[in-house]
Amino acid sequence: MEFRELPPVKEQIMKCVRCGKCRELCPVFGEIGIENASPRGHVFMVQMLRDGKVEPTSEVYERLGQCLMCETCSANCPSGIDVHELNAAARAYLTQNNPNRGKDFLYGNFWTKPELMKQSIKLASLAQRMGLQKLARNIGLTRLLPGDLKDAEKILEHIPPRSARSTLPAFTPAQGGTKYRVGYFLGCGTDFLSPEIAQATVNVLSRNGCEVYIPEGLKCCGLPHIANGKLDVAQQLTIHNINLFKKLNVDYIITDCGSCSATLTEKNLHFVLQGTTYQEEAADFAARVMDLTVFLVDVLDIQVDVHTDRKWRVTYHDPCHLVNAQGITAQPRELLRRIPGVELVEMPQAASCCGGSGTYSVTHHQVSMQILDKKMSNAVSTGADILATCCPSCIMQLNFGCRRSNWDAEVLHPVVLLDRVYQQAPAAV
Amino acid sequence: MNNLDIKKELVKMLGPDKVLTNDLDLMYYSYDSSFLTKLQPATPTAVVLPVSTAAVQQVVRFAYENGINIIPRGAGTGETGGCVATEGGIVIDLSRWREIVEIDVNNMQVMVRPGVIHADLNDELAKFNLFFPPDPGSSKMCTVGGMVANNASGLRAVKYWTTEPYVLGLEVVTPTGDVIITGGQQARCIKNVSGLNLTKLMVGSEGVLGIVTLIRLRCFPRPMARGIAMAVFDHLDDAPATVLDVYQAGVLPSGIEILDGSAIKAVNDFKPQINLPDAEAILLFEVDGNPPGVEFEGQIIKEVAGRRARQVEWSTDKKRMAELWEGRSITATAAARVRSDGSRIFAGEDISVPISKVAEVLRAIRALGDKYGIKVVNYGHIGDGNVHCAPVINPEQPHEVELVQKLVDDIHLLAIEMNGSTTGEHGVGAARRGYAVLEHGPAVEYMKKVKAAFDPKGIMNPGKLF
Repeated sequence: MEFRELPPVKEQIMKCVRCGKCRELCPVFGEIGIENASPRGHVFMVQMLRDGKVEPTSEVYERLGQCLMCETCSANCPSGIDVHELNAAARAYLTQNNPNRGKDFLYGNFWTKPELMKQSIKLASLAQRMGLQKLARNIGLTRLLPGDLKDAEKILEHIPPRSARSTLPAFTPAQGGTKYRVGYFLGCGTDFLSPEIAQATVNVLSRNGCEVYIPEGLKCCGLPHIANGKLDVAQQLTIHNINLFKKLNVDYIITDCGSCSATLTEKNLHFVLQGTTYQEEAADFAARVMDLTVFLVDVLDIQVDVHTDRKWRVTYHDPCHLVNAQGITAQPRELLRRIPGVELVEMPQAASCCGGSGTYSVTHHQVSMQILDKKMSNAVSTGADILATCCPSCIMQLNFGCRRSNWDAEVLHPVVLLDRVYQQAPAAV
Repeated sequence: MNNLDIKKELVKMLGPDKVLTNDLDLMYYSYDSSFLTKLQPATPTAVVLPVSTAAVQQVVRFAYENGINIIPRGAGTGETGGCVATEGGIVIDLSRWREIVEIDVNNMQVMVRPGVIHADLNDELAKFNLFFPPDPGSSKMCTVGGMVANNASGLRAVKYWTTEPYVLGLEVVTPTGDVIITGGQQARCIKNVSGLNLTKLMVGSEGVLGIVTLIRLRCFPRPMARGIAMAVFDHLDDAPATVLDVYQAGVLPSGIEILDGSAIKAVNDFKPQINLPDAEAILLFEVDGNPPGVEFEGQIIKEVAGRRARQVEWSTDKKRMAELWEGRSITATAAARVRSDGSRIFAGEDISVPISKVAEVLRAIRALGDKYGIKVVNYGHIGDGNVHCAPVINPEQPHEVELVQKLVDDIHLLAIEMNGSTTGEHGVGAARRGYAVLEHGPAVEYMKKVKAAFDPKGIMNPGKLF
C-alpha cells in the first residue's frame, strides 16, 4: 500500500497536538535531549514526508531511525497516536526510496531463511568457541569494524552452538492427558540466542498437559523487518506463518518472546497486512496467540507443587513489547511468585526500556548503552540474584548489562527457572 | 551577516555538539503546542543548546552585536508560539540544562536551572518534605524555566496561586548580554521589598526581556494529607454555584476543577479505568493539609456539594485520588477523543473570567460552538475562573480551520467583554498578541517602553506579547 494511503499516515498525524508528553517518556529522547529524537518530532517529520515538505532521503531515515520502537509513547499518548506505526510506515517509504544492498540482503534474504540463519549462527558460535572473537579483539581486528560495531560485537559474548530447533522435536506429547493442542511460535531470538528458553517452554507446556507443535518452516515474526523499513517482507513472513499455523489447527499459539507476541497481535497484524486480503484470517490467528506467562497463569492456572530448598531473590524487568504493546505486567510476576523459593522484589522503573530492542543495540550502540546503564542501576539496587524477563532480546542486552556493571546476577526467562524447579521432581507420566 | 556565517560563528563559539545547523534538525524547532505553529511553522536560523550562563551570554552578545533575534525555549509545550522564531533568529533551547543547583532546606528554597522538569523538581524536593506548589497539567514535561517565563499555574492555583509568588530571585542574561541577579545579589531571604521588583517584572514576561538562567524558588512544606471530592451534576449551572457555596462555607480547597460532559467522555475513552460518571458536569475538589483538617473540610464539601449534586464521592484513598486527578490532568490532550477524525487545538483555550461569570461564560462558549458547528470540550480551573476550552476539529480540513479561527476569536472577545482576560496562565505569545490593545489600552505603550529599556535593538523574542 502506498505510504500516504496507509491508515495511520492518513488518519493519525493530524491528531498530534504536540503536547510533548512523549518527550519525557521516551528513553531515547531522555539521552539525546534534542527535538529530532522526540516522538512528537517523529510524528512531525512523518507529516513533513507525507506532505512532500521534505524529500525521502537517508538523512530523514537517520532522524526517524533514532526511535527504538519501544512503544512507550504510543501506549501513553493522550491523543491515541500509534507513533511506532507512523515511524514504521515512514521507514518503509524511506527504504524504498533509498535502496541499500546490505539491508536488502539482511532483511530481504538472510532473515527470511531459517536454515541459512541456523548455519550462519552455528558458524559464528564455532568461531567464538575457537577463540576467534577474542583473538580478533586482541589483535585489534574488531577495531576495524564500521561505526559502533567494534563495541557492539561484545554484546554477543556467548552464541549457543545449536539452535533450539536443532534439538527440539516438531511434536512433544502432553504429560498426564491432553488439555490443549498448542502451537509454539519459536521466535528467532529464542531459537538462536536462548535455546534454553525454548527447551524450558516445551518442557513446562508438556508437563502441564499441552501437546506442543513446532511447525516446520516457521519463519521470523517480522518485527526486525518492520523496524528496518522492510514492511513488504514482514507482510510476506506474516502470511507464510499464518498459513503454517492454519494447517496445525491448534487451540493456542504460544510464544515466550514479548516481541513476537506483540508483532502477532491483531492490531499489529492489521497494520502489517494493510492492502491484503488476509485481515480476517489474521484476526483468527491473532486471537489464538498468547504470551507464555499469560497462558500459564490465566489459562492453565498452574500450581507448582514441588518442594525446593533453594531460595532466589528475583527482580523482574518488563519488556517494552509486553508492557507497552500488550499491557502485560501481572502474569509474569504472578508466575514468578508461584515458583517455590522465589522472593520477588520490584526494581525502580521496572517498565523502563533496557535499550536492547533487537538490532538497536548494534545500530545505535552508544544510546543503547546509556539506556542500559540506567536500567542496570535500578536492577542492581534490588540486590537480586536473578534478573527475570520475558524477551530474548532483553535477556541478551541485560546479560551484557550485568557484565558492564560487574553484577553476577543470572538473567533468565521465568519459564527457565520454573523448569529448573520442575526438574527436581519429574512429573509422573 | 548571512545565515551560513551565523551558524559557523555559533559552532565556533559553543562547539558542534551544542549547535544545530542542519536544515532538517531546525525544522523540529518550528513548532510548539499551539495551533498557530501548526498552521504557520517557523524554522529558526540555528538552535543552540547551552548549559552554562557563560554560553548563553556568549550567544546573546553575539546576537546583540549582529542584530540577530534570539528566542528562548524550554520543552516547547507552550500553546501560543511563544518559543518559536516567528520572526526568525536563533532559538536557545534550555531544556537540556536540568541541574538542581541546591536545595536549601534550612531556608526553604531551591536553586534550579531553567531546563529542570517540574515533576522532577518536586520528586527531589519530596525527599526533604518540601514542594513547589504550582501544579501545571503539563507537570511531567514542562520546564521550570518555561513556567517562570509564562507565570504558569495550574490545578492548585486556588490555594497556592501562580509561579510568581514563589520566585525569590533570578539570574538573567539581558538582551544586551549583561548578567544580572534580581531579588538581591546574595540574598537568601524570603521577604524582600528592596528596590524595584525586577523579579516580578521578569516572571511572565515570556522571554521578551531576557533569558533566565538560574531560578531561586521558595518551597513549602509538603502537606501531610490530601483528599478529593468528586461532585456529579445533572445541570451545568449547578457546578459554578456549588463552587461559591463551598467558599461561602469557609473552605478554601487547594484545587477546584470542572469537566463538562464532553470532557468526561474524553477521559473515560482514554483511560476507562478512571470511570467518571456520565453527567453534564463534574467538579473535583482537592483539599490538603493535616489529616483531621482534610477530613473535616472534605465532609463539609460533601455536605455542601450534595445540596445541588446528584452524587458526591469523597476519597482519601491514594489510588482513587491519583485516578481522579489524572483524569483531570489528561483532559487537555485527551479531549480529541470526542471525535474519531478530530484533534483538539490549542487556541482560545485559556481565558480567565470572574468566578461569578463562569456559568454564563460556559453557556456562551457552548452557544458559540453550536453557532460554528464545532465541538468544544470545556474543563479547567473553575475555582479561580480559568476556563479551558478545547475546540475539536479536523485540522486538515480548510473550512474547519477557517471556522475555528472565528470561534476562538469570539471566545477571546467574550473573555474581555466579561471583565476577564484572554489568558489566565498559558500566556500571550504570538497567538494572542492581537488582543493586547483591546485588553490593556494605552498600557501597551508602556509595556513596549519597558521592553525597549531592556532590549534597545528589539532582538529578544520579537513578535510576542504585543
